[in-house]
Amino acid sequence: MIKTGTLESSDCMIELRESNERKIEIESIVFEQFGDQIYDVLKTTLDEYHVKAVFLRCIDKGALDYTIKARLKAALELWGVDHG
Amino acid sequence: MARSYLFIPGNTPSMLQHANVFDSDAVIIDLEDSVSLQKKHEARRLVFEYLTKYYDSSIEIYIRINDPSTPFFEADVALLDGLPINGYVLPKATKDTVLLLSRMTKKPLIAIIESAYSVVTLEDIAKIESIKGLLLGAEDYTTDMNIERTIDGEELIYVRSRLAIYAKAYNKEAIDTPFTMKDDEEGLKKDILRAKALGLHSKSVIHPNHVTLVNQLMSPSESLVLWATRVLKKKAMTSKGAFSLDGKMVDEPIIKKAQKIIDEVKKYS
Repeated sequence: MIKTGTLESSDCMIELRESNERKIEIESIVFEQFGDQIYDVLKTTLDEYHVKAVFLRCIDKGALDYTIKARLKAALELWGVDHG
Repeated sequence: MARSYLFIPGNTPSMLQHANVFDSDAVIIDLEDSVSLQKKHEARRLVFEYLTKYYDSSIEIYIRINDPSTPFFEADVALLDGLPINGYVLPKATKDTVLLLSRMTKKPLIAIIESAYSVVTLEDIAKIESIKGLLLGAEDYTTDMNIERTIDGEELIYVRSRLAIYAKAYNKEAIDTPFTMKDDEEGLKKDILRAKALGLHSKSVIHPNHVTLVNQLMSPSESLVLWATRVLKKKAMTSKGAFSLDGKMVDEPIIKKAQKIIDEVKKYS
């Protein structure tokens, strides 16, 4: 398992676990307003790294898109996934 | 030239997003001391994504990378060098490490002078073309010297003077060490004026609430601006190379100094 990010305000925590399929879980303080947008950032980033099978949990504390993307990219890179 | 260089922790989104609201002339996004060893990769990636999306050209942006003795140095430069930043800040700088970094990037460099060895070999560092400025790192320097860091900073008189002189000699910026006491405004004021009196005209800052005072005190004073204005006004009214103002002779070096003061005021007004 890999974890990146923090639970501080404006940040998010990303957790990756092995899985046979792609599964994305999101907990967010702004889920009602931005849940779809957060999902899109996570999905697009996984696509960019060609990751088809992973369990991804994102606990969001009001992070902007660039933070979510950065935390996920860092997690994938630490997990040994090559970019692109 | 910037009056204030504010350090921003590189792994804290809430601080990065506010980099341009503290009125600092320049910011130094930090990947070194403020980032734990376990978080280096995350911080580098966060800074990259932040600057890729939100680069703001209205403020000078530097990144303090990790020094070449660490396993993070090469990866820092490899990922960040494509960003349109103003340059890198290199900690624990020596002539060799500055030259090493200069071979890896075309960006300007600010060398942190924080060891006795760097102080002794300051000229070798200052004369390197890619060096834009010299920044005093007093905490590490006093640790290296095994001396106490005091509020009055007497232990820094020599190193501040030396840094200011070599910076001036090679036309580089002389940037003072941060003042570490967050809420000691009087102490900060004295610290700024002490550095300024020795020839350091910029100061690094680790507490955003220090920026305003640093900017204010590192700017030319009102009386100096008034004097410079009068010098240039009188110069414009005469064809003589030298003339008298308030009973004192004014010649080319004085006129240049006055012009420099006015240029500085215009830059930050």
